[in-house]
Amino acid sequence: MSQPVVDIRNFNLKYRNQTVLQDLRWTIHPGENWLLCGISGSGKTSLAKAIAGLIKGSGSIELNFDAQSARPAIVQYVANWYQFKDLEGQSNFYYQQRYNSQAIETTATVQADLQEHGTRHQLSFAEAERIAAALNYTDLFSSSLIQLSSGEHKKLQLVKAIWLRPQLLILDQPYNGLDTLSRKNLNTLLEEISASGTQLLLISNDAELPSTIERFAEIREGQFQEVAYHERTSTAVAHSGKAVPSFLNEAPLSHAADHIIKMIDVNIRYNEKQVLKNINWEVKPGEKWVLQGHNGSGKSTLLSLICGDHPQAYSNNYYLFGNKRGSGESIWEIKERIGLISPELHWYFDPSATVWQSIASGFYDSSGLYCDPGATKKAQVDELVHYFGLDEYKNTLMTELPLGKQRLALLARTIIKNPELLILDEPCQGLDQEQTQHFNQLVDELSKNGTTLIYVGHFESQLPGCIEKRILLENGAVKSVETILESA
Amino acid sequence: MSNYFNTLPLREKLNQLGVCDFMDSSEFLDGVNALKGKKLVIVGCGAQGLNQGLNLRDSGLDVSYALRAAAIEGKRDSWKNATENNFTVGTYEELIPTADVVINLTPDKQHTSVVNAVMPLMKQGSTLLYSHGFNIVEEGMQIRKDITVIMVAPKCPGSEVRAEYVRGFGVPTLIAVHPENDPEGKGLAQAKAYCVGTGGHKAGVLNSSFVAEVKSDLMGEQTILCGLLQTGSILSFDKMIEKGIDAAYASKLVQYGVEVITEALKHGGVTGMLDRLSNPAKIKAFEISEELKDIMRPLFQKHQDDIMSGEFSRVMMEDWAAGDKNLLAWRAATGETAFEKTPAGNVKIAEQEYFDNYTLMVAFVRAGVELAFETMVQAGIKPESAYYESLHETPLIANTIARKKLFEMNRVISDTAEYGCYLFDQACKPLLKDFMTKVDTDLVGKNFNEGKDGGVDNRTLIAVNEALRTHPVEVIGTKLRKAMTAMKAIKTA
Repeated sequence: MSQPVVDIRNFNLKYRNQTVLQDLRWTIHPGENWLLCGISGSGKTSLAKAIAGLIKGSGSIELNFDAQSARPAIVQYVANWYQFKDLEGQSNFYYQQRYNSQAIETTATVQADLQEHGTRHQLSFAEAERIAAALNYTDLFSSSLIQLSSGEHKKLQLVKAIWLRPQLLILDQPYNGLDTLSRKNLNTLLEEISASGTQLLLISNDAELPSTIERFAEIREGQFQEVAYHERTSTAVAHSGKAVPSFLNEAPLSHAADHIIKMIDVNIRYNEKQVLKNINWEVKPGEKWVLQGHNGSGKSTLLSLICGDHPQAYSNNYYLFGNKRGSGESIWEIKERIGLISPELHWYFDPSATVWQSIASGFYDSSGLYCDPGATKKAQVDELVHYFGLDEYKNTLMTELPLGKQRLALLARTIIKNPELLILDEPCQGLDQEQTQHFNQLVDELSKNGTTLIYVGHFESQLPGCIEKRILLENGAVKSVETILESA
Repeated sequence: MSNYFNTLPLREKLNQLGVCDFMDSSEFLDGVNALKGKKLVIVGCGAQGLNQGLNLRDSGLDVSYALRAAAIEGKRDSWKNATENNFTVGTYEELIPTADVVINLTPDKQHTSVVNAVMPLMKQGSTLLYSHGFNIVEEGMQIRKDITVIMVAPKCPGSEVRAEYVRGFGVPTLIAVHPENDPEGKGLAQAKAYCVGTGGHKAGVLNSSFVAEVKSDLMGEQTILCGLLQTGSILSFDKMIEKGIDAAYASKLVQYGVEVITEALKHGGVTGMLDRLSNPAKIKAFEISEELKDIMRPLFQKHQDDIMSGEFSRVMMEDWAAGDKNLLAWRAATGETAFEKTPAGNVKIAEQEYFDNYTLMVAFVRAGVELAFETMVQAGIKPESAYYESLHETPLIANTIARKKLFEMNRVISDTAEYGCYLFDQACKPLLKDFMTKVDTDLVGKNFNEGKDGGVDNRTLIAVNEALRTHPVEVIGTKLRKAMTAMKAIKTA
């Protein structure tokens, strides 16, 4: 039998005196494609990074590439977080900068970025075009990197990785932010490259996987454990059992208006590119909406108008909480009434704040905490820290935590002020199924108090139960508005 | 027009130089009310103009942009910046007569012509806002007596002004009311409201004067901020080449080193920066920076003296009149230095390595910051002002060097700063000639600690720490930084 591609023996990894991986053993033989799943924070990302040589531990990880293969003898690790740089090589981007038309020219276009990648690795550009077409990405070639939504950044990472056809490809949460069709197309592409010699290691909790994935594993208490497909950590989750903190059980302060949102022929364009087209939409107090659409359909831009994050708000005709937008209100008066989480808010969030400070900053809608919140609010933060099971991390810096834990802290931040309007844009990215279900149960609880909800999620199975209405966007226009659940 | 400062009696000179008070947050409880419903017209739409305008509008204020007809017809960048972000844009004639506040955010050099063009169009009792006092103080521009003249100067580049605002914070800001032009006594209230509109009130506001701002700003930018960083970078690079260090490595160490080193300065002052060194390296850096201070003190004093007497601006304005002859020649010469022409190598330099292998720059920065601060304070400028114009701004300038070396720094800073920077650089290099012959690669290019056992004398170390920590720039810095605890870390390469 030929040598294993990856041979891990007695591998140990510690992070800040806590054992993450302990005497871990795992052998990946030629031709095998694996899924690594299991609960958030179990060490999946750490293990993947160690295989890719990005972090070091003790013990041995041996890689044996096939010298005969035409494929590059490398492990390519695609992180669950994207990075990009401006034309000067810096990545000092800031929240909502992408909506500022002046910023467009600060970063390369997708086309230029791909060309640079192709030249560096001596790849044929026609192949990139084929992969991009399969992911429905071709239209974005002329876009500037800073303009991309989180899902579109994810796809760019995937195009580059698949194009490279490395001998071992590790994808960490590749489905995050991808719409249903894109996930399917991605799986087709992955099946194709794995059938022709690239071995796959996926980290994911999703149910729909490339058919070539035949081996499944979890990390349990720092050790590797192969599992049968149906044995993966159970998906049926009991109610968390913890009582929702009482300050969240009060009806949010509402300044009664007929509409929370009323948009009349809203349009957004950059030069020739129209991002939103004649949007008309009304959200009444207490309604629970789901906002859906494929990647790039305009969901984030639509939400940015509601959150006071879009400079073009001032040339459009719409009302928030009964007031015409641009009639002398400040964006902080708008944000005060909204609890927001989105992939971008997370991406740009101040990583040097502690978990506790991050949650408390939700009272002030800031990224990081700049003032003393006072005793009442401090007690509420403590209560929520406990509710989210973050006690042991409360003084830890965000940057030192895995993304799943960071996300939990930001979810707590979103609801801390018990806002009138909750905007949850793919809130559960990076969480495991149990955490997702617990959070959605919490959303259902909060919704009973009269909170208005706008939820963005691609999968019906991952939506909270309280959703009543759906708005579907397609290419920047409203494709349909429908009632899916009659309110009681 | 004659130099305003020089027309003042000594009593009034001292009076205006010696103001700079850190304002309590309770001063801003009235929010943007003093400007609510007023028409704000910004002249110029570059990085400061656009980003301040975006913040003011997001704070509920009415903002539009007045541009020269040529900029509108030519659809220049300023026109694009404003229109694509959905602002009303018009000519001076269209917008200035309607303005309650005219905000002049054009480059220094254009101030006289811009103010001469807008002043006749400004309505009775309106306000003219500057972000720099050069035009009023050094050029002696006289503003119509019914007009209120104020200054609001965010102490950061325009993109930071926006980035900090949208994350719910702001950048430190300096405000002032020109005592000759406050006919209705409303200047301070409007300046404070403007600060709230740009978010500056959350990061600390200094109440200063036009005179104090100009005299300290010029001093800081010429000496520590641009001048010494340029001199130190070029000398360090040349020394490494002379001693056979790989040129690509040397280029990278110098280009990014100053940013990494001053990042420590930003968070922990001179003390924090020196604390990143090993004990032996710290003592060495202390000793050579003492030496550097003695060598450069007369030069720092000369710059301050020329700024105070108006000699600096007189000479510079002569160069403006001569079509920037000297400025352009010096700019070209900077572009030809070996450091500028050697691309940074693709070597990985760890964060700590920038300190260990570039102890010389730590010494340069300490010497420059302390000297600039001391010289300003001796000249009658308050420590708060001197702190902002020396220590606080050093990391911001260092960031521009990290982006694209000295050319980028000189492109980003004002022409006034660039002119003063070259003056300093030319005078400083010969002064340091003897000093530099003694410098070896243990101070620049290689790890200072290599081959040393790390032992130090306790008493020496204690004395060094004491001297660093009790320096007046550290005393005021500790107080001011508390108000800015939330400064964002700059991501480094």
